[in-house]
Amino acid sequence: MQRTFKSMAVLMIALLGATAARAQVSVKKNFMKRPFAVTGFTGDPTVAGELTEVLKGDVRLSGCLELIPSEQAEFVQQGAVRGDRGGLVVDCYVTRQATKQTVLARSYPASAQDLRRIGHVMSDDIVKAITGQRGIAETKIAFVWTRGGVKELATMDYDGYNVRQLTYDRSISVHPRWSPDGRKIVYTSYLSVFPDVIEADLYTHQRRRLASFPGLNTGGDFSPDGLKIALTLSKDGNPELYTMDAGGGGFLRLTFTRGAESSPTWSPDSQSIAYVSDDRGSPQIYLINKDGGEPTRLTVSPSYNTEPDWSHPPPGSDMKPMLAVTSRVGGVFQIGLYDSDTREVKPLVADDADNEDPTWAPDGRHLVYAKTRHYRSRLYLLDVVTGEQVELPAVEGDASEPAWGP
Amino acid sequence: MRSKTLSHAVVLALVAMLGLTGCQNSHWPWQKNKNSANGSQAGEPPPLGGNDIGEGTRPIVNGELPHGQFEPIYFDFDSARVRPSEVSKIEAVANWMKSNSGAKLVVEGHCDERGTAEYNRALGERRAAAAREELVRMGVDADRITTISYGKDRPADPGHDEAAWAKNRRCEFSAVTQ
Repeated sequence: MQRTFKSMAVLMIALLGATAARAQVSVKKNFMKRPFAVTGFTGDPTVAGELTEVLKGDVRLSGCLELIPSEQAEFVQQGAVRGDRGGLVVDCYVTRQATKQTVLARSYPASAQDLRRIGHVMSDDIVKAITGQRGIAETKIAFVWTRGGVKELATMDYDGYNVRQLTYDRSISVHPRWSPDGRKIVYTSYLSVFPDVIEADLYTHQRRRLASFPGLNTGGDFSPDGLKIALTLSKDGNPELYTMDAGGGGFLRLTFTRGAESSPTWSPDSQSIAYVSDDRGSPQIYLINKDGGEPTRLTVSPSYNTEPDWSHPPPGSDMKPMLAVTSRVGGVFQIGLYDSDTREVKPLVADDADNEDPTWAPDGRHLVYAKTRHYRSRLYLLDVVTGEQVELPAVEGDASEPAWGP
Repeated sequence: MRSKTLSHAVVLALVAMLGLTGCQNSHWPWQKNKNSANGSQAGEPPPLGGNDIGEGTRPIVNGELPHGQFEPIYFDFDSARVRPSEVSKIEAVANWMKSNSGAKLVVEGHCDERGTAEYNRALGERRAAAAREELVRMGVDADRITTISYGKDRPADPGHDEAAWAKNRRCEFSAVTQ
């Protein structure tokens, strides 16, 4: 009994500390991580060591497992690396200690160059076996990589490793967004001097212009059903919201204002679009049907709300869809969540730095955003349930405008 | 159970092979071809495919737009309203356009760093559109004017204080003769 009290006190102190140092809003109460031990792998020590590090990193970032010594763990991972470095096979077992029941037993063909990916696949298998939910370890994030005055697109693994530069245009390439199948990225490119919406196919390595009207073409965002792209065009005078067919053409104008409409983000059911409008003064978030009609104003406070990103948690998830927003408060940007009861944006990441560009993971629980401090921008990964956040490994130069892939 | 594990292993092997192929082909989509034998192609990204939808009245611009011929006009924070103090600068542009009827004009809209990126792209476009509206009011044909919004990506002053921000909330005018 006394021990229970003591551990509860420790837990409460830990939670209080976490709340103070980390996020201000807790999305779910009474969430408990499952105690999990990674014991590593027998066999080739170099391979085993790297795999163990990747797996431990993934377990820490999963949000649902607590890395803990095996004596106190509910689940214990064991494994083996077989074969030589040319043709490797990695075995992974997870056992529930109390019942000795095997919850995962799987073999992974691998190569020495491919260990991070194998670790991520393994982690997602473990998360699925224990929680029934899809993990995020195999996902990728696109972002804008600024170096030497040019902005290129790049992708990286969700944990910030394995950075790959995508464009080499020495121009301005910004606002990447993924197609729901992860095959394409739409973005805004100034390669023709003028801002165009470009679609890049990551499989065929082909690019094509989707919109290059006079004026502004930007803000492309795929609907979750993959059929439409919402975007901002100013061809009729000032920046207005449009949709187009994902295959090209079929432009439909949705808004008719004297202000600027920008930053569309789709609802999970692909039926409506949240976006930014400054038609009534300062920028606020509005909602409109995908076929147009009368918009509804969502946010009333604080006075500057931009960059909405609507989470799309998978069916069966215990997360609800949420709108993450960048607000400007006291001269700095902060990340918040829209509260439909009060129509306010409640702060989620607010400190002395500028926090911008929230993008949801496909689990609807993790967010990546850009933090700018002393004029350097870095990406951070936040778990909105636990409030824990980590800085992703830095790239040379600046990283901004992240977009989490499917 | 065994056969399920096995088929999973086969799938994984395929995935691993695909992944490896991706690694070896380290030319990411649009990398400059450093090994190109054709000198004229070296260093050039491949052309964009697909339809050039809506090119419309855009002038063709090769390289950098010429700055300096006209004075930039400046704006208040988070505003696209043309200040009365800036109207005479726009008049100078309009007069030049009227006496150079073959020329086209590019109006660039810019913002200071205190807005979020995409919102600033929209705000910069509104500034350029406001300047265009003035030019049209002064008698310049709208078809001769094209806008570009750079948002906060091309500051005139790299500083981080009000003096720099005031210089960055602007429109620049570039005449393009073809």
